[in-house]
Amino acid sequence: MPENDEDFLKRLLVTFRIEAEEHVSALSSGLLELEKASPEAREAIIETVFRRAHSLKGAARSVNMTPVESACQKMEGVFAGLKRKEIDLSPELLDELHKNLDTLRELLLPTDTKSAIETKPPVEEKPESIASIAAEEPASKAVAGSATTSVREETVRVSTARLDSLVRQAEELVSAKLAANQHAEALRGIHSIFARWKKEWAKVHPELRPLERASNQNANGSLATKKLLEFLEWNEAHLQLLHETFSALEKPFERDRRALALMVDGLLDDLKKTAMLPFSSLLILLRKLVRDLSREQGKEIELVVSGDELEMDRRILQELKDPLIHLVRNSIDHGIQKPEERQKLNKPPRGTISITVLQRDSKVEIQVADDGAGIDIARVRSAAVKCGVISRLDADKLSDAEAVMLIFRSGVSTSPMLTDISGRGLGLAIVREKVEQLGGTVWLEHRVNAGTTFHMLLPLTLSTFRGVILQAADRLFVLPTNHIERVVRVRKEEIKTVENRETLSLNGQTIPLVALADALGLAKRTSQTEETITALVIASAGQRIAFHVDEVRREQEVVLKSLGKQLVRVRNISGATILDGGSVVPVLNVTDLMKSAAQASPAARTVTPEPRKKSARTILVADDSITSRSLLKNILETNGYRVESAVDGIDAFTKLRSGDFGLVVSDVEMPRMDGFDLTKKIRAEKKLAEIPVVLVTALESREDRERGIDVGANAYIVKSSFDQSNLLEVVQRLI
Amino acid sequence: MNNPSTTSWEDVRRRMDAVHAALEHDVTITPETKKAILKERALALAKERPKEQLAEAHLEIVEFVLASERYGIESSFIREIYPLRDLTPLPGTPPFVLGIINLRGEIISVIDIKKFFDLPEKGITDLNKVIVLRNAEMEFGVLADAVPGARWIAREAIQPPPATFTGLREEYLYGITVERIAILDAVKLLSDPKLIIQEETAITKGSQ
Repeated sequence: MPENDEDFLKRLLVTFRIEAEEHVSALSSGLLELEKASPEAREAIIETVFRRAHSLKGAARSVNMTPVESACQKMEGVFAGLKRKEIDLSPELLDELHKNLDTLRELLLPTDTKSAIETKPPVEEKPESIASIAAEEPASKAVAGSATTSVREETVRVSTARLDSLVRQAEELVSAKLAANQHAEALRGIHSIFARWKKEWAKVHPELRPLERASNQNANGSLATKKLLEFLEWNEAHLQLLHETFSALEKPFERDRRALALMVDGLLDDLKKTAMLPFSSLLILLRKLVRDLSREQGKEIELVVSGDELEMDRRILQELKDPLIHLVRNSIDHGIQKPEERQKLNKPPRGTISITVLQRDSKVEIQVADDGAGIDIARVRSAAVKCGVISRLDADKLSDAEAVMLIFRSGVSTSPMLTDISGRGLGLAIVREKVEQLGGTVWLEHRVNAGTTFHMLLPLTLSTFRGVILQAADRLFVLPTNHIERVVRVRKEEIKTVENRETLSLNGQTIPLVALADALGLAKRTSQTEETITALVIASAGQRIAFHVDEVRREQEVVLKSLGKQLVRVRNISGATILDGGSVVPVLNVTDLMKSAAQASPAARTVTPEPRKKSARTILVADDSITSRSLLKNILETNGYRVESAVDGIDAFTKLRSGDFGLVVSDVEMPRMDGFDLTKKIRAEKKLAEIPVVLVTALESREDRERGIDVGANAYIVKSSFDQSNLLEVVQRLI
Repeated sequence: MNNPSTTSWEDVRRRMDAVHAALEHDVTITPETKKAILKERALALAKERPKEQLAEAHLEIVEFVLASERYGIESSFIREIYPLRDLTPLPGTPPFVLGIINLRGEIISVIDIKKFFDLPEKGITDLNKVIVLRNAEMEFGVLADAVPGARWIAREAIQPPPATFTGLREEYLYGITVERIAILDAVKLLSDPKLIIQEETAITKGSQ
């Protein structure tokens, strides 16, 4: 798995604090200078403090510290007024500014990262004056989500790092619990060993009597026989004693084992609950997305949410962010039509997107529904054929319900137009991959012109899942049980080769059969003399493949662990788990496996992407704020790009001339040379003219956007609507 | 070691006599000489551990042997040295990634630096130690045949590799000691993006 978002945010926050401290002390000395300076000298100082306030605002925005951002905004506004000479620098104003700075300092005091990031007050509740922020009790921010309810439980602020470490340690105890279960089984096995001994002994015992008598009667009887008989008697008593001692030990062991199991489960449950957050913590983001996108596209859309008080594992919520953004975008872009169109169809002009969160036993179902156009299945079919996911013949054979699942496959898009939001057919594939990685499933329902509903069924907590331990190519692997449709034993002659591909027939359906060893690129076991083979049927996104394995060992509870920092992502492997004996077993990634299976098979029809030139993937990030720089760098690096950074336009331009870059991501407002000028210079330089430039900026106005286009930027991302997937999609498209 | 068939009994006897003489002499040692000897030893010990005051002029390295060649790594980057028990290989990783191990419940990847450096395979390896390297951003294990131990080396005594040096590429080399221990550049190694395995999925490769 890539670097944990939480960890990254924490590191980012540390970087931000350092940067913020610098800005604040510069602001403070600037204000003091301003007081003493002559009116002529003031201009330069105002310019400096204005810049500082602005930079701090931008940095605060990257780490979602809204209160800091708005405090800076206010100061920036005052400085701008001073700059334009619209307001006078009165002593009262200076006092006010100093007071604001104190507030800022207070806001920047290290609080724990979780509350700073995740429980930021909703954007709507922007405090009217900076002073009111200071009055706000800082502790009230620590109460996650439910802070608004009238009853306030006593709370303690704990850093997420510490919480995660506790959860990790508790998860470790699961291994101890499982090991104890295994030991208990081994102990029960000893009973049968004793039983067998008793039986054998009972058979031989009568034979001893005559021997004993003979030896007693005959005084000259062999001493050896006598000794042997004595020993046998002692031996019997000794074994009996051993059995009794063992039985006496077994009881307390069994008791302790039960207690351990109960306590571990209880502890883990409670800890998981502690690490949970309500679904509503994701909503701010989605509401903003709906508002911004619908405005941009001239659509009227209402977002209706229910069940958002349901609490889920924080790690799952983090991972859900991207899929939800994709689904909502998808609904806005492809689902809900424009008001005029809707009216023609006798629908209210205002469209609705509803997000419903439901608890289903130990799982949670999230539905994202729109009352839009639904899905054109014929178009899905032809899109899938066009991008090579499936042949026309196979596509026509699929039922409508099966065909609609094709939209979860990579590259299948029904949108004729490639907009900046969607249309490349990757969004839904990403949704599926994320959901499956979390151990969930995704499906959809739709009715033409009545709307589409996406369903995601997810576990409430991450950490443990049921897995099947299996053997392939003499190695052990774990496969998550929820992806396994069934385990079959098939006779050799039932395997048919169709189009150079081995297949099985199950309940009248033909399913491709792939050796797991082949899919993993491992050497297959040599001797294949068995009459029957074992195969696991795996289903994902409407696709079913039977994987041939050597052996299925057992099913058990499994704790997923990451592969360590060096192995960020390994094909086909989502992590590893530790079995009772302490041995490490890789856990298979089903989504990857399905793709690998298609590639391993000679008749694979999946599109093989062209290998890219390495240099084309190096990206230059230019930004004067170290916080924004590390944020951008991290996002791009976690997604496999090589990144170099520059601190301003001139630095960037120098680096571009000496290096070999595939793309430039640049901030607009930078000292020395800004992003517009940088773009202009790039376009003017013959060697660099072709490099795509993405401008990331706090400037939202239409003029600025147009100016960006005028100077030759390829994309323009506004910071306020910035999110990771947005940037990545743009980068993917351009590079 | 010594071949038993060539043991010189005369030599053994002579040494035994020497030991005997030494023992007798020791018994008659005066408290003053004893004190002097102890002081001398203490001084010698103090000299060999130049920790604080000489830390700047010296480098503490952990020496390890891999395919009968001697390497060193600055000890401050070493989290621990762990005996290799079970190594689980991972399919789909480059050859230099040997697999993963269980380090008290934590999973750590293990690499073969010889393969990573594209060094020719020679000599017999007896990989049984994992040297766990780490800094704030990265952590992995390096497999070694043997780890003789840690030692202090004067920075002055570390030389740039000679032109004729046919070992690993210069970029990963901090320098070479007089004993020809190749000191690896731990900072470079830990921050090398080439070491990071980040397989793209078919999704991020995309198709348009």
